Amino acid sequence: MTQEFDVMPGNKAVAHGVRLARVEVVPVFPITPQTTIIEYISDFVADGKLDAEYIHSEGEHSCMAMAVGASMTGARTFTATCSQGLAYMHEVVAQATNYRTPLVMAIANRTLGWYWSLGPDYSDIMPEMNLGWLVNFVETNQECLDMTLMNYKIAEDYRVLLPTMMSLDGFYLSYSQERVYLPEIEMVDDWLPPYKAPYPVDPTVSKAWPSAMIPPALHTTYRKLHEDVMNDAKKVIAEVDKSYGEVFGRSYGGMVEKYRCEDADSLIVTMGSMTTAARRAVDKLRSEGEKIGLLKLRFMRPFPNEEIIELAEQVESIGVVDRVMMHGTGGGMAFQDIKGVLYNTEIKVPVQNFVTGLGGEDIPIDDLYVMGKKILKNKGRKLINEVEFVAHEFQAAAPPVEYEGDSCMHPGSDGCAGCGASIIARTLLDTLGENTVVINPPNCSGVNYGGVVKVPWVLGNFAAGAAYMTGVYRALRKKGKADKVYVTSYAGDGGTVDIGLQSISGAAERGESIIWLCYDNEAYMNTGIQRSGSTPLFSATSTTPVGSEWKGKPQRRKNMLMIMAAHRIPYIATASLSYLPDFKRKIKKAAEVTRAGEGLAYLHVHQPCTTGWYFDPAKTVEIGRLAVQSGAWPIMEIDHGVPKINVKPRELKPVKEYLAPQRRFRHVTDEQLEIIQGYINNDWDSYLRLEKDGKLPWY
Amino acid sequence: MMVQDKSLIKGLALNDIAVKGGKYVANWRAYKPEIDYEKCVACGLCISYCPEAAINQTDDKMPKIDYRFCKGCGICANECPQKAITMIQEDES
Ligand SMILES: Cc1ncc(C[n+]2csc(CCOP(=O)(O)OP(=O)(O)O)c2C)c(N)n1
Ligand code: SF4
Ligand code: SF4
Repeated sequence: MTQEFDVMPGNKAVAHGVRLARVEVVPVFPITPQTTIIEYISDFVADGKLDAEYIHSEGEHSCMAMAVGASMTGARTFTATCSQGLAYMHEVVAQATNYRTPLVMAIANRTLGWYWSLGPDYSDIMPEMNLGWLVNFVETNQECLDMTLMNYKIAEDYRVLLPTMMSLDGFYLSYSQERVYLPEIEMVDDWLPPYKAPYPVDPTVSKAWPSAMIPPALHTTYRKLHEDVMNDAKKVIAEVDKSYGEVFGRSYGGMVEKYRCEDADSLIVTMGSMTTAARRAVDKLRSEGEKIGLLKLRFMRPFPNEEIIELAEQVESIGVVDRVMMHGTGGGMAFQDIKGVLYNTEIKVPVQNFVTGLGGEDIPIDDLYVMGKKILKNKGRKLINEVEFVAHEFQAAAPPVEYEGDSCMHPGSDGCAGCGASIIARTLLDTLGENTVVINPPNCSGVNYGGVVKVPWVLGNFAAGAAYMTGVYRALRKKGKADKVYVTSYAGDGGTVDIGLQSISGAAERGESIIWLCYDNEAYMNTGIQRSGSTPLFSATSTTPVGSEWKGKPQRRKNMLMIMAAHRIPYIATASLSYLPDFKRKIKKAAEVTRAGEGLAYLHVHQPCTTGWYFDPAKTVEIGRLAVQSGAWPIMEIDHGVPKINVKPRELKPVKEYLAPQRRFRHVTDEQLEIIQGYINNDWDSYLRLEKDGKLPWY
Repeated sequence: MMVQDKSLIKGLALNDIAVKGGKYVANWRAYKPEIDYEKCVACGLCISYCPEAAINQTDDKMPKIDYRFCKGCGICANECPQKAITMIQEDES
């Protein structure tokens, strides 16, 4: 059998799996290092290579709910996330189980913040482990593709009918290139027929649907049944692995893979991408005459109890490598599970734990070799050090460079050359002064400027910026300092108009005297230019690409000015980095209003982004000016309900002049241009009318 | 800036705004801005617009570029109303 292959990163292999499985619904939300999975899928859909409902969700909680809804209704469904995104989904992840939704979710592992890192460890997937999903870990990019297909086959089997999480290590798999064989779609069609839900939420098909409400008296019974189903899944997993092998020529051992275990007297246990390095360490020890074998845990839920007991009977020493810490238990995840499995047996074998690779640090062959040596030494001995943390020396980056100057921001940063977000941040902080607390939902600026400011700059979670601010503000108010310290956000458009909106709305309605500052670069830039609710009509982004079927973002952006005006807050303004005196005046006004305890002041500042809009970095300020002069970004304020246009060009420039230098609009046709121009003219007229009418009647 | 070994609380990493200093980025640059002081009228626009805060005002109000912090984005040259700033290609070396 010949199969085509291509060299590709793990994330692309997953996307190909989704394409080959003819997935029908794909809700998405970006997060590094998962994002390129959903970008590759959007490319497939944009080019007509996958016929799917692709849904740009406004946050992961919704994203998972969309997935559950779609799967319950009988559609083959896929989504992907990791880290903060997975944690934010948590409630709905739990709900997916009893609705028996056989969706597949790829987790491109990444450390879960408290300490933030883009690199992988299993702190993100660990809290989701015991919710009744099937959870598997892959080692290679080929396995990413194969397991995506196998997971649907397993999950949709009526003996199972459960959601499945597939964990691929961020960076090590998500971004690294490997050879991947692509099965022919017709063969996949034969092997994986369309999903047919037994009880879809569709009254034209079924009068019954999965229930979430059962009396407490039945909980224990149903939980037991669920446990039985998970146990039954082991058989299905083995069957599917075998049948995949027969049809496509690759199988992986089902629940576990054993490597050089035949005559082993010692065992190293791994999961995920570290396994490849562990194989080499085992080879080296074998070449030195040591009888060590490797056990790769492929499925963590259900847990391979039987396989572990069988090997534990054979060997005299076990070492478990964990890329996660279960705080308060003294050890890692697989370690605790394995100890638990062995406790009530007759087996007496030392089980040592190595906790390493946290935050995405590499787990090199040399380390695994040393671990192997230690495991071998434990043979026939009582363990002295049950859990060992394998950490490396910290290499500090270059020390800060001394300079002269008294701005609230230090010079130099990690941001792109020509980044406008930095100009806005400096103007904001220099105007408010050093008694300011910044709450920063994750974004480009947090990464690039959070480390170079001279005020407390606190990373808050993405959906909860205004809630963090509320907490800080109320504590200050309680201590009599509400008029001494400003509380401001430094939020992107994603953190404002999408995932952050509920929290802002709550704070606005409660009248928290805080400053919401949104710097709007019209997409999720930090994760690599995905569309947001503030991305303008027809703009190309990495999740609204241009292809045979798609022509950029088909929706218009939200009008935040009016959304905030509906909250009747005292001060609302738009601004631009190209009109700094106007912006400074507005910051001062926001400071005044909040200091007086009048309520929330909302500032929404336009920020041309050289990287995401594709223009020459020297033109950042020029493009910002063109946006204002063409009416694409009207500069206005609503002061205690009174609207005013602050910059009023005598005649608006044609919007074409603003769009032309930006490559995100380069595909725009004359017809599309006319539509854009029409909306701009219309909005401008509406604002003129509002201004003329004076105070908004509902204030 | 994040600091180690300063915290009174075991296992608590700290940010400390008292740690002062900029970030050296001169090696990012392909083009270097040069100010022609004959043409400069000290309007200060380049100072406001430099994303890196790499331009300071001197005692005589003139802008002065601290090249250690300049990435060569070209905004200052583009925005200068007097065309007093030119971008010059850096040596390959
Ligand atoms: C709950 C959650 N989901 C996703 C992410 C990943 N993430 C980090 S920054 C970012 C995009 C930020 O976009 P925006 O707010 O527009 O700011 P920008 O980076 O464009 O300046 C995303 C999606 C996260 N940190 N937390
Ligand atoms: S991607 Fe855009 S917003 Fe982010 S640092 Fe670069 S220029 Fe600034
Ligand atoms: S080129 Fe850019 S970074 Fe350098 S001084 Fe000018 S504005 Fe600042």
